[in-house]
Amino acid sequence: MFYISASSTISHQPAFQNAGFSGVIEPLLADSVLITPDYKGYIDAGLLRRMSKILRMSVACSKDCLNQAGIDQPDAIVVGTGLGCLQDTEKFLTNSITIEGLLPPTSFIQSTHNTMAGQISLSIGNHGYNMTHTQNTLSFENALQDAMLLLMEGQQHVLVGAADEYIEFLTQVSENLAAFDGQYLTSGASFFVISNQKTDTSAAAIKDCRSVGLVDDTEAEIISFLAENELNAADIDLILYAGYSKSNFEIFLKLGIDKSKCVDYLAYSGLYPSASAFALHIAADRIQHDKSVGNILIYNALVPHHLGLTLVQPVEA
Amino acid sequence: MGVRITGIGIVSAIGLSVEENLLALKESRSGIGPLTVLDVGRDLLAGQVKLCDEELGRELNIGPAGISRTSLLGLKAAREAWGSSMHSKSIRTGIISSTSVGGMDRSEVFYKEYLSQKHPDYAVLKTHDSGSTTERIAAELGISGYIDTLSTACSSGANAIMLGTRLLLQNKLDRVLVGGSDALTKFTIDGFRSLMIYDDEWCRPFDESRSGLNLGEGAAFLLLENEKSVQLSGNATLGYVSGWANAADAYHQTASSPEGTGATMAIRNAIAKSEISPDRISYVNAHGTGTKNNDLSESVALKNVFGDKIPAFSSTKAFTGHTLAAAGAIEAVFSVLSIQHNLIYPNLNYKNAIAETGLEPVTSLQTENSVHAVLSNSFGFGGNNSSLVFTDQI
Repeated sequence: MFYISASSTISHQPAFQNAGFSGVIEPLLADSVLITPDYKGYIDAGLLRRMSKILRMSVACSKDCLNQAGIDQPDAIVVGTGLGCLQDTEKFLTNSITIEGLLPPTSFIQSTHNTMAGQISLSIGNHGYNMTHTQNTLSFENALQDAMLLLMEGQQHVLVGAADEYIEFLTQVSENLAAFDGQYLTSGASFFVISNQKTDTSAAAIKDCRSVGLVDDTEAEIISFLAENELNAADIDLILYAGYSKSNFEIFLKLGIDKSKCVDYLAYSGLYPSASAFALHIAADRIQHDKSVGNILIYNALVPHHLGLTLVQPVEA
Repeated sequence: MGVRITGIGIVSAIGLSVEENLLALKESRSGIGPLTVLDVGRDLLAGQVKLCDEELGRELNIGPAGISRTSLLGLKAAREAWGSSMHSKSIRTGIISSTSVGGMDRSEVFYKEYLSQKHPDYAVLKTHDSGSTTERIAAELGISGYIDTLSTACSSGANAIMLGTRLLLQNKLDRVLVGGSDALTKFTIDGFRSLMIYDDEWCRPFDESRSGLNLGEGAAFLLLENEKSVQLSGNATLGYVSGWANAADAYHQTASSPEGTGATMAIRNAIAKSEISPDRISYVNAHGTGTKNNDLSESVALKNVFGDKIPAFSSTKAFTGHTLAAAGAIEAVFSVLSIQHNLIYPNLNYKNAIAETGLEPVTSLQTENSVHAVLSNSFGFGGNNSSLVFTDQI
């Protein structure tokens, strides 16, 4: 068991410092906006000015998590991101193409994928393991598995999370590729402290997490994942899923899971590659505040050929 | 504790295979030359792979359309490391690659057309994200399941090797291809120039007169296997990954601390993990980019760890250029070759020691001493410091 000692999300939902949010949030509407806290409470003003959206979200969520967990330094920092620091990448790319001569370096420096993890370590003076995973829609699951390995290796508290930022260019890409019809493209960051021991602040526990890239037989993967965790499909109280295809429901139906137990988390988070991190926050919050919920399966088939499975349980289990 | 290395593959400015790279290392022949594949508005030196996309595609029997150069280079090295390995349902196989630019080599061409409103092909962007470069390599090799990409700037390749080692030791996988790939792009060249650390001359790692790096491109992969996998594959063991560590410098977003804090921790912890004493390290393949800041900070870290008994060390960046995310993997292959062939490589272009530290790298090929253990350093932006220890036995 891996205990969730703290959770923090900045997104289009009022989830930041709002325990119990999972019971009151509604699906997003077309005009939703990113709901941001007053960043000055989390980030030094001088640094804040230069930080892009994804950096602000990531550093603020991380600090909020450490406050909640009551720890100064995590043993490690692990971040997942599908597309990385798009705002700075686009800015430097535009400069590189349009300006002759020497360019300002800040957007290049902040364009690398590990800027979030690096800025978090800098802002708290952390010298531990520092890692960044980027695997499209499975970036968060891969970061989470790395964090779980660290706890198995004897670390006590790992700060793990994921972030992706929306830029306007993505709308043009999605229109031109005729992809993501009917989905709202959004930004989001969710961070967690996960611990190898139950603590006073433990909200829920992660039993297992798996990512299956270029998946061949989704149904068989789910069955074996549940079996390895000594569960049947009937034991699942709630499936938080992402993925557009009807085949998802066919799979749930075949497994005997009622439609009423299945919730599309993208309707709440909007679309970004690492949105399954938000689903984990929903799961932890729901389990903490609704004692009738036992096993929650996060089923991430946002891209159909990649499958992410995360099993969340109450702390007592 | 450690895991077996049973396959290696590499493509770099000094060669298109392990054999070609080894020959160039033995002949002290650099692959850095005038940049010709990209127009960056001025003459520069870079470590180009001597095959264009079309040639790479032909050699790999794969169309150059719809695939980034980063994937093509990665696939070339991955196929060599994979060798004649067979798939088996009982062997859980994964792949961990790393890249800093992903498909930027194609995206930047797209974006230029986009900015000039020339109706660019948006489908090109499907190869942009870093994860897609690894997915493509996995698909071509028939690998499904655990597919991951790490992106921690210049330490990425070393981190992929570290993660693969940990996954094997925790019995999450039986076999894993680990490595990294990066293609030269205008984006990264302009980026390092904007930081004023791109040397117009040949890069001179650990030399007092050093003034920056030359970028390079390439890819390298290692095949790691556990006991069960080796019993089935019958692959010979080339060496072991026996020590690893990553530590954050937490000093500055790009610069390394003058005290070498993160680097010292990474080196010290990696050697501790390998359970050998520091005096057993036969050779250090340094990060040694040729920037004022890195080489000084790394020298201080070496002194912190080894005191006045610093092992033979050199940077091979003056052979290949700095290949960013691929560097840790390329230098891991060089480390394995160092152990296999008892070679210590020269640090090209070195004349005078850095005044503050006085450390002198190896300057000509050494073949007379046996090499049992090699330390390889990879340090990146964001203060991301990684060290690996490779040994001939565990």
